Order: sequence, then C-alpha cells, then structure tokens
Amino acid sequence: MSNPLHARHYADRAVQQTVEVVENVKLAVDTYRVRFRCPDMAQRIVPGQFLMLKLSDLTDPLIGRPLALYDTAASGAGAGDVDAVDVVYLVKGKLTSRLAGFRPGQRLDVWGPLGNGFAQQATDHLIMVAGGIGQTPFVALANEALGRRRYGDMTREVARAGRVTLCYGARRADLLAGIEDFERAGVDVKIATDDGSRGYHGLVTDLLKQTLDEAGEDRRIVCCGPEPMMEAVAGVAAGSGTACQVSLETPMACGIGICFTCVAKIRDIDGEWDYKRTCVDGPVFDAASIVW
Amino acid sequence: MPPSESSPADVDLSVQLGRLALPNPILVASGTFGYAREMEQLVDLDRLGGIIPKTITRLPRPGNAPWRTVEASSGLLNSIGLDNDGIDAFLEHHLPYLARLQSPLIVSIAGRSHDEFVAMAAKLAGFSGIDAVELNISCPNVSGGVDFGTDPELCGKLVAGVRGSCDLPILAKLTPNVTSIASIAEAAAAAGADALSLINTVLGMAVDWRQRRPLLGNVLGGLSGPAIKPIALRCVYQVSQAVDIPLVGIGGIATIDDVMEFLVAGASAVQIGTANYYDPAVSMKLLDQLPAAVASLEATRVASVVGSLQRADAPPAAPPASSAT
Repeated sequence: MSNPLHARHYADRAVQQTVEVVENVKLAVDTYRVRFRCPDMAQRIVPGQFLMLKLSDLTDPLIGRPLALYDTAASGAGAGDVDAVDVVYLVKGKLTSRLAGFRPGQRLDVWGPLGNGFAQQATDHLIMVAGGIGQTPFVALANEALGRRRYGDMTREVARAGRVTLCYGARRADLLAGIEDFERAGVDVKIATDDGSRGYHGLVTDLLKQTLDEAGEDRRIVCCGPEPMMEAVAGVAAGSGTACQVSLETPMACGIGICFTCVAKIRDIDGEWDYKRTCVDGPVFDAASIVW
Repeated sequence: MPPSESSPADVDLSVQLGRLALPNPILVASGTFGYAREMEQLVDLDRLGGIIPKTITRLPRPGNAPWRTVEASSGLLNSIGLDNDGIDAFLEHHLPYLARLQSPLIVSIAGRSHDEFVAMAAKLAGFSGIDAVELNISCPNVSGGVDFGTDPELCGKLVAGVRGSCDLPILAKLTPNVTSIASIAEAAAAAGADALSLINTVLGMAVDWRQRRPLLGNVLGGLSGPAIKPIALRCVYQVSQAVDIPLVGIGGIATIDDVMEFLVAGASAVQIGTANYYDPAVSMKLLDQLPAAVASLEATRVASVVGSLQRADAPPAAPPASSAT
C-alpha cells in the first residue's frame, strides 16, 4: 500500500498564488508580522505547517523562504470569513530585509500549506519551548489546544490541552515578539533572556526543567528554535520521560520535496539514520528520532 | 489577413531528439523535480514534454552533509551530492508511478565507472515505461562520473558502450566546466548519442568570511538559475555549430523569452531546473505561452524555430509579411 520511498507529507493540499500584502507590522526589534490574503491557504493550513514566500517578479533574491503559520485572520475583504494568513519573520538576509519595507498592496508569491503540522495528542499540560524566532509556530497551536480557534477542515480532529505553558528564550527583551498573542490565548508565559533584561537571566532549558518539576505526569513538550537549544530540550525531555516534538528550522530551497536541500538525520525504527527532507517528512519530528 | 500569419492554436509543438519523440519541448531537469510525485498537486504532469527524475546511482547514496544549497545573486549554489536510494529502489518504488504518466520518461543515471554506467543502462532497457536515458556525466558534486564529461575519449567510449548495451535513446548531459565543450560534444555525437543536454551546473563556492568557513557542506557546489543563462546559451550555440545532433538547453530558464532564446540559439527542447524551486508551476505557464511565442515568429512548428539564429554578420532576415503592410 504505502510506498517506502515516498515521503509522508507531499504538497497535496498546496496552492501557489500571487497575493497582496494586507498589513506588515513590527512586533519587536527586526521582527515583523506580515498578513496576506489567500483564502484557499487560510482555510487549509494547520498549526505546525509552513508556507513558502517569495518576493514577486524578482530574481534577486531568487529563492523562497519557509515560514511557519503564525495565525489565520479575516482580512476584512471577505465578509468576515477567515481569508488571510499571518507569518512572523526575523529580518536576517536579503529577502526579509526587503520584506520589512513592504506595504499593503505589494505582491508576494506564496505556496502552501506545506509539511505535516504538530501531531494531535491530548494532554493535561502542553509545554511549548521556544528560542529566538522559534515561538512562531506556537500561537496557532495554543489557540487550538485551548479551544479558542480551529484551523483547517472543520471535520479535523483536534487534541485539547488542559493548560499550556510557553517557555520562551531570547537574547534580549527587545527581541521577544508576540507575547501578548500567547497571553490572549490563555497561555502561561515564562521568559528567559541571555542578558537578564526580562524574566529569568539564563537558559530557557532551566525554565523548562522548573516547569517539568511542577507539572503533573500527563504532559507533552513541543519545541522550536536554534538547533543546540532543541538538542538540549530533547535531552531534558528524554531524561524526564516526556514526549517531545520538535519543529526543525533547516534551510530550504523549494519547500515541496524536489531539491533535497533541507535534509536532517532521522532514525528509522531500526535505529539507522537516513537524510530525510524536512519539508515533506517534517518539519515536525519526534525529538527521539533525530540524530543531532 | 496575410497568408503567412500563423495561429497559436495551429502550432505543432512536437520535437524529435534522435530516436526520441517528444510532444513538446518543455521538460523538467533532473534533480529539480524530485521523482515527479512531489509535484502532482502543483503541476499537470501529463502535459510536460518530458520528465527527468532525480539522478540515480547503482547503490544508494546518502548525499552530502548540509548545508546543501546557498543562494547567490540570481542563482543557487548546490552540493546535494546525488542523494538517492539506488537503481533497484527506483525501479521498484518510483518507476511504477512515473510509467503511468503520459509524459515521456527520461531516466538520469550516474555511474562511478564505465562499466557501472553501461550496466545501469542495460538494466533500464529491460523495463517498460522508460523512454530514454540521460547520462549524467557532469555532476560537479561527486567524484567519479564527471571525468566522462571532461575527457572526450572517455566520453565517446562511454556513449558507445551504453549504446551497445541499451536500445533506449541516449542523451548525454555535459558540464560547462571544461575548456572546450564542443570537443566533448563532438565525441558524444560521434559515439551515437541521440541528443546532448547542455548544461549542468557551473562550479562555484560561497564563503562566510566572519566564520572563515565555506557555506556549503561539501565546500564547492554547482551554480544554477538565471545567473548562468548566458553561459548555457553560449554552450548551446557553440555546440550547435560543432555537431548535427539535437540539443536540449538547460540553465536558468524561467520565462517564455528564455525558452525562445534557447530554441533560436539551437536547442530543440529545454529543461526547466531551478525555476521549479521558486515557481513550482512555471512549466505549465511556459507551455501556455509557447504557442503564441512560436506563432509570433510566423512559424507553425517549434522545430522550424530551432537554430534559426541570424548572425550579425549575415544578411538580415526578411521582415515578416504582416509588418510590411
């Protein structure tokens, strides 16, 4: 039945469209949220999935960038229906530097939804661990787990969490973005900064350990951020016997499985690793399957 | 209405690459289209002039360590390293899907030795659903196979050996990273290649000076995308002057103007590569636009546009009848 060489999450529900920016607002230092109108994508995309975004009509920058679903919204153009997608990006290079200057009406090429999204597993306590810009996939997940919003098909089964904690680490306070979106969703937010400018002065993994100490037995971890931090979180999760999913941030060129850029070393059931494409086999993986 | 006016609806898109007949000249290049299944939702696979899946090798290869691609100005450097599961896994798990598609299937192979290439081609010849074989003798990211693309004698012997072991039409995909691509092309043509695919990527590099390290896991990589189009056009033109077999243009093709430039310069067909990454539906857009572009040259067949380049030192072409009025 299933083909052992086929990936699990091809772009079979993706659309490719040229869309217009609805708004592009600054959330923190070098951090923006761009909203674009794309009803087909807005109605299909689920937490943990991503999309590819490219600046239209340019060959420099040439390649699209993968960006996680932040949230969906009503643009106001579609009678109040959810018809727009929000993504949050950190200004890092050529594409994001230009995107930061985009105004409503300017055009983007987008294709998605892509990837697998977070696995649906009900839990008493969902613990989100984010580092750097890694908080972006978790707003929608929190909204869904706490029953505030639904994403994708209305028939889709959604796992609830009794409560959600976000352990969010950044280098400095002025890089923290979207905390109010988490608080509005009902998430208990714990902050760590490298320089102590807000919250706990130290590593986000320390916050995770504290949270685990206080948490009950029925708990799960989801994690996204820089690779060393995700590796450390995976270690804490394994040490405490807590199930953990990580969303990998590997560089991508296509997002749809055709270029084989975004590979990560993933263990199969025999313990042997093979390079798997993060875009069509992930980006969300069981932390225990990753060879760091 | 002037008698020479041609209608886009009447344009004959079919082209012939030696023994291989194609319904149209828009193909997708190996390594830039996965195994086609990935694109099922975004592309009407049955419309393509040909599909060339990712290159296969005799044994599985894990490929190179990340980073595997780095963006350059209007281009992309890659060192994927022929990550694939080997010919047997391809034949068992990918071929059944690919063989069901309407589009001609051209299987790209890379061997580490003459005998390995010949044996792989012979194996492919035993399976139905394969329309041609493309010899990847030009991948810059693996050791071994590229020698066949840089040495005319080895190249000629290889094409002749494959021709002797396999009755499928043969395309040889050449590298631009040589002093004279025409001399390699001549050797492949003389040995019986049905067509030549021009070009594979241009060897390049990217450096992070702050960390003092190369950005690609494999240090060097191949440059593709719009940045290399002039190099690819030059290669097609030079080779078209040297050999009489059909050519397939590859290198930065993303717009209908790019397609027409390659046809006029001497390519009978083109392969879309890196553009699939940043515009997944690009091949469909080009197919939609091609008939009108051909008709705008007063042509009724794609084949009649191929190699119609007028050199600046040649007498000017007669103005089209429709513009003379």
